[in-house]
Amino acid sequence: MSEYLLEVNNLKMYFPVYGGIFRRQTGKVHAVDGLSLKIKKGETVGLVGESGCGKTTVGRAVLRLYNLSGGEVFFEGDNISGMTQGELRLLRRNMQMIFQDPFESLDARQTIGEIIEEPFIIHKIGTAKTRRDEIEKLLSRVGLSGSAVTRFPHEFSGGQRQRIGIARAIALKPKLVVCDEPVSALDVSIQSQILNLLLDLQSEMNLTYLFIAHDLSVVKHISDNIAVMYLGKIVEYTDADSVYKNPLHPYTQALISAIPVPDPSERKQKIVLHGDVPSPLSPPPGCRFHTRCPFAFGRCRSEEPELKPAPGTRDEEHLVACHLVNSGK
Amino acid sequence: MIIMRLNPLTIKKIKRFKSIRRGFYSFLLLVLMILSSFFAEMLVNSRALIVFYNGNYYFPVYESMNPGVKFGLDYDYETNYRQLQKRFKEEAKGNWVILPPVPYNPYENDLREDRFPPFPPSFAEKHYLGTDNVGRDILARLVYGFRIAIIFSLLLLLFDYGIGISLGSAMGYFGGKFDLFFQRIIEIWSNVPFLYVIIIISSIVVPSFFTLILIMAFFGWIGMTWTIRTVTYKEKAREYVLAARALGASNSRIIFRHIIPNTISVIVTYAPFAVSGGIVALTSLDYLGFGLAPPTPSWGELLQQGWIHMDSWWIGSSVIGAMTITLVTVTFVGEAVREAFDPKMYSTYE
Repeated sequence: MSEYLLEVNNLKMYFPVYGGIFRRQTGKVHAVDGLSLKIKKGETVGLVGESGCGKTTVGRAVLRLYNLSGGEVFFEGDNISGMTQGELRLLRRNMQMIFQDPFESLDARQTIGEIIEEPFIIHKIGTAKTRRDEIEKLLSRVGLSGSAVTRFPHEFSGGQRQRIGIARAIALKPKLVVCDEPVSALDVSIQSQILNLLLDLQSEMNLTYLFIAHDLSVVKHISDNIAVMYLGKIVEYTDADSVYKNPLHPYTQALISAIPVPDPSERKQKIVLHGDVPSPLSPPPGCRFHTRCPFAFGRCRSEEPELKPAPGTRDEEHLVACHLVNSGK
Repeated sequence: MIIMRLNPLTIKKIKRFKSIRRGFYSFLLLVLMILSSFFAEMLVNSRALIVFYNGNYYFPVYESMNPGVKFGLDYDYETNYRQLQKRFKEEAKGNWVILPPVPYNPYENDLREDRFPPFPPSFAEKHYLGTDNVGRDILARLVYGFRIAIIFSLLLLLFDYGIGISLGSAMGYFGGKFDLFFQRIIEIWSNVPFLYVIIIISSIVVPSFFTLILIMAFFGWIGMTWTIRTVTYKEKAREYVLAARALGASNSRIIFRHIIPNTISVIVTYAPFAVSGGIVALTSLDYLGFGLAPPTPSWGELLQQGWIHMDSWWIGSSVIGAMTITLVTVTFVGEAVREAFDPKMYSTYE
C-alpha cells in the first residue's frame, strides 16, 4: 500500500443529464467509467487523451472535488472516496491542483498576496508576519518579484499568472499535485519555462504529479509513466519511452503518428482516424474504440477488453486494453 | 495592510464615473441634498440659531425647549422666535436673534386672522414656497419630507440587500433542493398583491416608520435575491471558486471572500435605482393615505393636497418640482454608475 501515494480503483464519474418538461433525469454522461491508476511517491504520471475524454474529470475526482459515482480513491493508503467535504478539508493541504486557465483560476478581486496567503489562512498556519515572509519566498521561488504582492492578477501575463497559480499550489508543501493542462493555455516559448519550473519543484520538494495534457510531446518531457485515455477509460499504460517507441493500442498508435516531426525529409505514414468520438452519453458496447479502430473485429463489438499486461512484456510495466494485442495476434 | 488597497479596476471605474459629467454632478448634488437634509434643523426651523439676550448667548436649535419667560416674555410655552426677533428690534436694547433661512418648522400652522390658508409664496413672510391648506410651510415640509424619504429608502435598501444578498448567494451557491424550494416560495410570494396587503395592514394598524419599512422589505427582497442568485450561479462555475475549494476553503469563505466581491458591481449598479424606487413607493403610499401617519411631513401627502387644491398652484408645482429634481438626479447617478461598471468596458478576461 505505502508504495503508492495515490491509488485509484475502478473510478466512475457519471454526470446526470436532465430533460423533458419535468426535468427528469434522462441519461448520464459517462465521463469516467471504470478507471484504475496507481502513482508512486515522487513519480509523474501523464494522462493524455483528446478533448472530452474525461481527463480533467479524473483530475478533479481524485482530489474529491466531486462526489464519486463509484470506485475508490486511496491517498497514502487512506480511502478518501467516502469522506465528506469537511473531513477532506484537512487533507487538502497534501493534495493540490494547478489549473489550465491562469485567467480564470485566480480571483480577479484579490491581490497576489491575498491569493497566495489564502492556503495559509484556510489551514491556520503561521502569523501575519511569517506568512508574509513565506509569500515572498514562494514568489521568488516561482520567479516573480516581491513587488507582485500588492498587484492584481490582470496586471500579469499568462505565464506569470500560471506561476502565481503554482506558488499557491505548492504553498503548503503538498505531496500530490494534479496539473490540469497547466501549459496548454500558454505560448510555446513559455510552456517550456513552466515545465522546467515544475520539474525543478518536483526534485526540490519531492512532489508527485498527475500531469494531465492533450499534447503528447509535453507529457513525454515531464512524465515517468503515461496513461492514454479514450472515452473515460485507460487504453494503455506504460513508461514514457515505450509509448513512443512501442505503442501497442491502435489509438495510441494513431496519436503518436499525429505528432509532427521536425524533419521534412522523414516520411511516415499517418494513421488518420475517421469519424467522431462516440457520445459519452451512450458509449458503444464492447471496446469503446471499435467504431474508429482500423483493426476492429467481431469480439471488439461485443466484449469489453480489460487493461492487462501486454504479451511479451514484464508484469505491470506495459498495460494495454485491446483484444487484438492481448490475444497476441 | 493589503486589504484596504482599492483594486485598480475599481479606481478605473471611479475615474470613469467622474468623467461622466452629468452623473457625477448629479451625484454631488444628491450628496449635498442628503447632507443638508441631515442638518435641516439649522436651515429650516422655527427655533432661532442664536439668541443674544442680556449679555448671554443661547442656541435654541440644540437646546431643550426655552419658555417665553426666559426672554422676558409673558408666557410659559415655547418662545416664538419670529416674534421675539421683531420685539428685540423694536426695543433696540442690543439684544438680537438670528433665525434660520426658513424660520418655520414643518408642523406649525402659521395662520392669519384675516384669511384662510393655503397662502401663496411670499418672501416678506419667508414662506418661500407658500403654505399648505393648514398653513404649514411647504418648503419646510419638503425638506423634512425629503429627509424621511431618503432615510426610508436607504434603510429599505439595506434590508432588501441584506436579505437578497444572503439568500440569493445561498440559493445560487448551494443550488439543489434548497434553491428549488426558495424559487417556488419567490414565485408564490411575488404573486401576492403588495398594495392590497399594505392597505389591509394599514387599515388595522397605522404603520410607523419601521413597520412600513418592514412591510416594504417583506416584498422588496425578491428582486435582489433573484439577481444575486443568477450571478452567483455564474460565478460558482468559474475556476477560481474550484481553486478555492481545492485549497480546502469553507463554503462561507468562498461565498464571502470570493463570490460576493465578484458580484459587487451588480450590487452597486442596482443601488441608485433601488433608492429612487424606495422614494417613489413611499410617496405613492402617502399619496393614497396608507403611508406614514399624519402629520409626518411627506411628499405624498403634499401631492394629494396639490391635487385637491389645484387652484393653489404652488403646492402641486413645488412637490412635483422637488420630486422631479430628486428622481432625475438619482437616475442620472444610476445611469452613470451602470456605465462606469459596464463589464464590457473592463472585462477581466482582457
